[in-house]
Amino acid sequence: MASGSTAGTDDDYEALISTTDVELLKRVWRNEKAAPEILRFETALIQRTRGQIQLMEETIEEFSSSGIDPLTVSLYQMDLDRTQYLLRSYLRTRLQKIGKYMFHISNNPEVQNRLSEQEKGFAKRCTEDMERHLEESVLSKLPDNYRDILKQSIISEENDMVPEPQLDTFVVCKSRRFLGPFQLDGSDELLEMKPDDLCIIHYKSIKERVQEGEIDLV
Amino acid sequence: MYGRKACQLVKELASAEKGQLTPCNSDLFDQVAAECSQHHLELQSLIRKIQEEGLDVQTTRNADHYGALIHHLSLVRNKRCLVAYVYNRAEIIRSLIWKVGPVLPPEIQEKLNHTEEDYFKKLSTALQAYMSRLDLDLTVDMVPPKDPYIQVRVLDDIGVVLSDDKTTNFARHSMHFLKRTDAEQFISRGLMEELTG
Repeated sequence: MASGSTAGTDDDYEALISTTDVELLKRVWRNEKAAPEILRFETALIQRTRGQIQLMEETIEEFSSSGIDPLTVSLYQMDLDRTQYLLRSYLRTRLQKIGKYMFHISNNPEVQNRLSEQEKGFAKRCTEDMERHLEESVLSKLPDNYRDILKQSIISEENDMVPEPQLDTFVVCKSRRFLGPFQLDGSDELLEMKPDDLCIIHYKSIKERVQEGEIDLV
Repeated sequence: MYGRKACQLVKELASAEKGQLTPCNSDLFDQVAAECSQHHLELQSLIRKIQEEGLDVQTTRNADHYGALIHHLSLVRNKRCLVAYVYNRAEIIRSLIWKVGPVLPPEIQEKLNHTEEDYFKKLSTALQAYMSRLDLDLTVDMVPPKDPYIQVRVLDDIGVVLSDDKTTNFARHSMHFLKRTDAEQFISRGLMEELTG
């Protein structure tokens, strides 16, 4: 392979690689894995990825039937396997988060809107099943005033029995570009981030920036 | 002492190995639920007493009020413990779907109580529905792939299997070099093991 003789072509190559869908998928997958809460579903990206996977499958099929070198075919296959793993793992991670925070999600329209249509359906069923399960095993055995699933008793003013994601945990993150001094939540300290600097910060103070794609979680 | 049984129940959960299900202690569970009803009865009788004395329930701060408060708080705490017990078990059950698949082996099945079995079944149908709407099977590819082919040993007689227009005889203890995607389904069912090293 041609070696990147000048720094210029290297950078171009880097830039090109970092915008392919697989690379983007890897990023959203990593973010999803590391973030304590569920992030916005990447509808367009997932759709494109699935299209490409299908295309790859067809290519491999064609290659193996037209007798192209098995090594080439197996390289393609490996590439395909990796992409499929990323996709599946991404979707799985999301389902697990939905399961964990279903009551929080179903009571919170803003969070709910981060889910895909199919995930919304799954979340709804998940919540209903869990409600029925709790109802049958615990709540029906309790006195009337204590039967609510979200509140400890009828005198609780707000929902005080909903497991919520812990947004103030620490995450390891990396900035994608230079970020000017910005204020951290709950402190007067200003923070400046250079590209590729590793930081350990409270998730909630960089939450928006993760969503905007300015900061990546590691 | 109030709340001790509920505490035991939750301790059982906490001392169990992480991600492992212990047999459902429905005996203790029912005792705690009964304790809740008892608290409720006493709570009501205390409130009635306050009312009979002609005092306002909202503002009275006498011995009876604090007695009632203790019963209320004990009840709420018991409820939290009971719900936590069921909820955390349900969480483990949810993780089982990914670890062992939609059908539970009998040794795990016997640790669930009836409603939990129901819950597991409903959950796997919900997951199936999601996957079929998406037209993608999410239960394969559980570990990042390293190599498209892996070496496996057959643990149980599977017989002759057709894959990629080849038939292979998976006899017990025989070893094969297979496509990872083909082997995965057998591995998750415990019929093959991957040879590493």
